[in-house]
Amino acid sequence: MERRKFLSMTLGAIALAAVPASIRAEDFRKSKPAVWTTKNVMNGKKVTEDGVMAAIKALYGSNSLTMEGVKLKAPDVASNGGAIPVDFSTDKDVKSIAVFQNANPEAAVMVVDVNKYSVNKYSIKIKMASSGTITIVAQGNDGKLYAAQKTLDVALGGCEG
Amino acid sequence: MAGIKAKAKLKNGVVSVKALIKNPSMTYNMAEKKTGSRDNADFITHFSATLNGEVVADFSTSQFLSKNPIFKFEFKGIGAKKDKIKLVAMNNHGKTYKGKAKIK
Repeated sequence: MERRKFLSMTLGAIALAAVPASIRAEDFRKSKPAVWTTKNVMNGKKVTEDGVMAAIKALYGSNSLTMEGVKLKAPDVASNGGAIPVDFSTDKDVKSIAVFQNANPEAAVMVVDVNKYSVNKYSIKIKMASSGTITIVAQGNDGKLYAAQKTLDVALGGCEG
Repeated sequence: MAGIKAKAKLKNGVVSVKALIKNPSMTYNMAEKKTGSRDNADFITHFSATLNGEVVADFSTSQFLSKNPIFKFEFKGIGAKKDKIKLVAMNNHGKTYKGKAKIK
């Protein structure tokens, strides 16, 4: 009995060790598919805010946001909607950070799976089809959803969406 | 091989990485307009960075990153000069993009 237990334990340990690193991190496209299909536009009509709020709910199960603790930097006017620089950071103890906007057909842009080495400071470039609002949501380990928003004008739409 | 260009720098214990993935980042709507089929959409869905077998950054992404998307991120507590960071991205068709960055 002891030996069998030992064997199964070692096998389990080996199986765990054999899982490649890429699988250990959470792939939010697989674990939360609804987030990526939440639309900003419904039946040809633009739904403001709701698409983003629905996507946040699909991702975190709640959308009551605490508007603090997250820094978001984006231009007030973007001349090129095809590449809008978005810088965001947070000092809070967080599990993941998500980026949303309400100008494109779907709301979600990116979800960062935070790990123990992360310095939560990121810069990315995104596309926006028209003027709209960018929302950054950071899921705190304390259960709160810290957020920041920025509304900007887009002179030339970037994704013809 | 489609690739990722990247640079990594160590300063005050923090490694900052800048990576560019060569990808058209074509949304479904763009693909429909330009090629007539939504299936031709081509964008990055996942991007991660590992160092010595440890994940240091992990992003799940959508169609709305810019063309040839740029990621800047930072990490600390791991990594020394001359260490190599491995970068792997995947697009919506399952094609992988690979790149390396040596920490300077």
